[in-house]
Amino acid sequence: MSPTEILLLLMVVPFVAAMISFLALRGGEATRKFAIGCHSLSMVLIMILSLTVAGSVFIDGPIQALDNWLYIDGLSALFLSVLGVVSFLTGMYSIGYIGHEYKHGELSGTKVALYYGLFNLFIATMLLAVSSNNVIMMWVAIEATTICSVFLVGLYGQRSSLEAAWKYIIICSVGLAFGLFGSILTYSNAAAVFADPANAIFWTDIHQNAKALDPTLVHISFIFVLIGFGTKVGLFPMHAWLPDAHSEAPSPVSALLSAGLLNCALLVILRYYIITVKAIGPDFPETLMLVFGFMSVAVSAFFIITQHDIKRKLAYHSVENMGLITLAIALGPIGVIAGLMHVINHSLAKTLMFCGAGNILLKYGTRDITVVKGILKVAPMTGILVAIGALALGGVPPFSMFVSEFLMVTAAISEDMPFFTLALLSLLAIVLGGLAHMVACCVMGDKPDEIEKGELSFMTIAPMVVIVGLIVIMGTFIPNQVLHGIDRAALVLLDSDEPTVINILNLPGIVQPTEMLATKPTLAQK
Amino acid sequence: MLETIALLTIISPFIGAILTVLVPKEAAKWVCQLFAGIASFGAIALAVTFLSGPEPSVTYSLLSIGQIEIFGLMVDKVSTLITVAVVVLGFLVSIYSLGYMTEGNREHPHTGQPRYYAFLLVFIGAMAGLVLSSTILGQLFFFEVTGACSWSLIGYYQSPKSLKSALKALLVTHVASIGLFIAAAYLFKETGTFAVTAIAGLDDSTKTIVFLGVLFAAWGKSAQLPLHVWLPDAMSAPTPVSAYLHAASMVKVGVYIFARAIMSGGEIPEIVGVIGVVGATITLIYGFVMYLPQKDLKRLLAYSTITQLSYIFLALSLSIFGSQMALDGAITYIFNHAFAKSLFFLVAGALSYSVGTRMLPQLKGIIKTSPLLAVGFCVAALAITGVPPFSGFFSKFPLFAAGFELSATHSWLMPIMILALIESVASFGWILYWFGKSVVGEPSDVVAKAKPIPTSMKFVLVILIIMSLCSSFIAANWLV
Repeated sequence: MSPTEILLLLMVVPFVAAMISFLALRGGEATRKFAIGCHSLSMVLIMILSLTVAGSVFIDGPIQALDNWLYIDGLSALFLSVLGVVSFLTGMYSIGYIGHEYKHGELSGTKVALYYGLFNLFIATMLLAVSSNNVIMMWVAIEATTICSVFLVGLYGQRSSLEAAWKYIIICSVGLAFGLFGSILTYSNAAAVFADPANAIFWTDIHQNAKALDPTLVHISFIFVLIGFGTKVGLFPMHAWLPDAHSEAPSPVSALLSAGLLNCALLVILRYYIITVKAIGPDFPETLMLVFGFMSVAVSAFFIITQHDIKRKLAYHSVENMGLITLAIALGPIGVIAGLMHVINHSLAKTLMFCGAGNILLKYGTRDITVVKGILKVAPMTGILVAIGALALGGVPPFSMFVSEFLMVTAAISEDMPFFTLALLSLLAIVLGGLAHMVACCVMGDKPDEIEKGELSFMTIAPMVVIVGLIVIMGTFIPNQVLHGIDRAALVLLDSDEPTVINILNLPGIVQPTEMLATKPTLAQK
Repeated sequence: MLETIALLTIISPFIGAILTVLVPKEAAKWVCQLFAGIASFGAIALAVTFLSGPEPSVTYSLLSIGQIEIFGLMVDKVSTLITVAVVVLGFLVSIYSLGYMTEGNREHPHTGQPRYYAFLLVFIGAMAGLVLSSTILGQLFFFEVTGACSWSLIGYYQSPKSLKSALKALLVTHVASIGLFIAAAYLFKETGTFAVTAIAGLDDSTKTIVFLGVLFAAWGKSAQLPLHVWLPDAMSAPTPVSAYLHAASMVKVGVYIFARAIMSGGEIPEIVGVIGVVGATITLIYGFVMYLPQKDLKRLLAYSTITQLSYIFLALSLSIFGSQMALDGAITYIFNHAFAKSLFFLVAGALSYSVGTRMLPQLKGIIKTSPLLAVGFCVAALAITGVPPFSGFFSKFPLFAAGFELSATHSWLMPIMILALIESVASFGWILYWFGKSVVGEPSDVVAKAKPIPTSMKFVLVILIIMSLCSSFIAANWLV
């Protein structure tokens, strides 16, 4: 099969799985089992297919499908592969988590089928958002992710979860209205100058002819896009929906929201960022990204230490990390590498932690760190994994977030911003403190009497073990393929025709970049 | 060959740590002994192989992207010497833990959990990695790993107080690591590599920034003012952990990275030396003043560690003014102090084990009930305060000799050296005072009821008593 066909298949798979689950809504036990089977198959396929597509894009270059409506280049391939892996992990974890809820009567059979249907539909919309080339369809896809996920957030039907879902849909819709305005502004800007206005809707064409765009309109539309899609990314001060939605959703959905959805919205911003940089130069968009990113980090760092709810802590942590990625992108070539690496690392570590928080919730029935004590004694595996996850999120080596955070520091210093770096590192220290305190409170300590000892089930632990393996690998010996992928993605983001990012780094000590090329063609080569 | 042995020394404890968690609970401590033993064997083999080889120093690049060196190994006289100290002491501490972490312990009746041994092993591996690392990034990596390990080991007993101290240690040392982050980033920006040896090629202003960054990180790990706050509180850790982390390894991370930077730094701006000397002097005086109110033997030892580390910082800072003798003295000091202070901590631990308390006023007449502990106490006290023929003397002497020699050209050093000399004598007096009160004389009630200590602990104490006598000779022969 050609990569284009695989891409189309990838789009169809979760959609079909979702339809089967919806058909099983009225069916009995057997049909529901069948739906769960389809869900598992769909998750496995999504991971394999997305990695295949991404791999072929990294090696052979961008692909297009459906008359240019779908487009995967290095950048979206990176996001696609992260989404594929995260979907698989959370999808597998869902089987354990939702199975437990069904067994204990928290969710009815209908709700279970509904869950799997929405879950797959949610992934389908995210895949569409990542691979869309049509600027309006990007907006449509992001809006569609809101609609699918809002029902997942309110799945339990309790007062608090309904409130969170309501807040989520209102804030995001309003925010995305700004995004729509920015998108339309870009489109009309392009349509006015293009010889063939029909092409003005495609990102690839706008990008190619970015220099012809009206600079004032580009300024305005970037602001609108950053605020609009920034709402969905969870950048401060548009983040208000995020802690509620993430904490009230079922844990696998929280993981998918944090590790999947936020990245998709970020990708849209990056798409516009590339156009804006090409049209009006880097100063303006970089400043905006830096300001919004830094504010998100600064504000959420303090929220992380004050929250008592584990999942709210993690949600604020997502705000912080999205801020980090946003500001890293604005820090030159090293920063771009750091930011993209952080997309991968944050997604993995956050999935791990939300799964851990899910296990805690199932075991203790609460997410309050003043109540949850002694996980290590109640469920040792979960305890260890949660402790590892918290340290990993705090940026402690040998886990992967250390690497990307270190690169961010290097990038900031390379851009001659020592005080900014100091401020950033101090904030990161605060975050580490908050997370370590959470572990000290929850994982350590004595076991409460009323909690039964024992792990939940294999399917709630196995995905977490896999992730720990992945973050250790990403923190020590990063595989060449991944480095190569990051290299490709960074080249797209930096809008460069060089064969590898190393050539743009302007490192002293490397005298002849071209000479090096002969022997070491890519970043991936060691 | 050297490369393989060095890698074995670093990686085997990590493998051991994973196995420790996986094997049945009863077997965990034996797995720990095995892998700590393998690592010690590796460390000694590395030292011997290196010494019999021709080169003065060997560097291996293990991980690099393009021409950017990410991680590598540096095997030279200093790194092999310190590797032996940190790894072998780790092994000795794990043997000691066999006896200490049991239900028979009077102060903390508690069987060591697998995670205790696992983190001990990770710590040994991380220390070996840090010492042998040839890049600042590698140092930073292991610097943070030791921080995380110390967090879990200090909070090991899980009491609210110990968890609080653990968090404090983690955060203070993490804040300190910011210095290393900045240093690594500046080095990379200017030279395009992380190799420590590249520091020599920097211009003066960047070099000052890099050195101050390293010095700040070093102050944090080696508990110097104003980043010392974590160390006295960290005494709520199990005593073998205190012996290892707070005497032999973790606190030595700071002075070691500073020493490593100085050795690779070429001509170093004098301002770094001035700041180092001033910081060391202030901490020296503060540490001594804090001796006086201490009643808990371990807290007294913690402050003693702080002042001893100030001496090492003083020696290192003096070497920036161009004194090779001060540098050699500092390295010897790191080596000697590791053994002597571990001995002191382990004596304190043995007292907790057999007597059930480590409060100095309650300890009287140890010599009557436990001669070994009394000898250990005596040797450790004399070695720490620098009485010949014990090891401390041979590291303090070159420091003072170098200091007074330098005061010929840097007259402001004279009062500082005199101050340090006074401190040295006064701390000798203070420790002798407690020695007289607690070791000799008629046993107090609690001491009279002391229970015998297990063989494993005795064995370790004897080895350390011997090492407190000979370690300086080993170091002196090594560094020539």
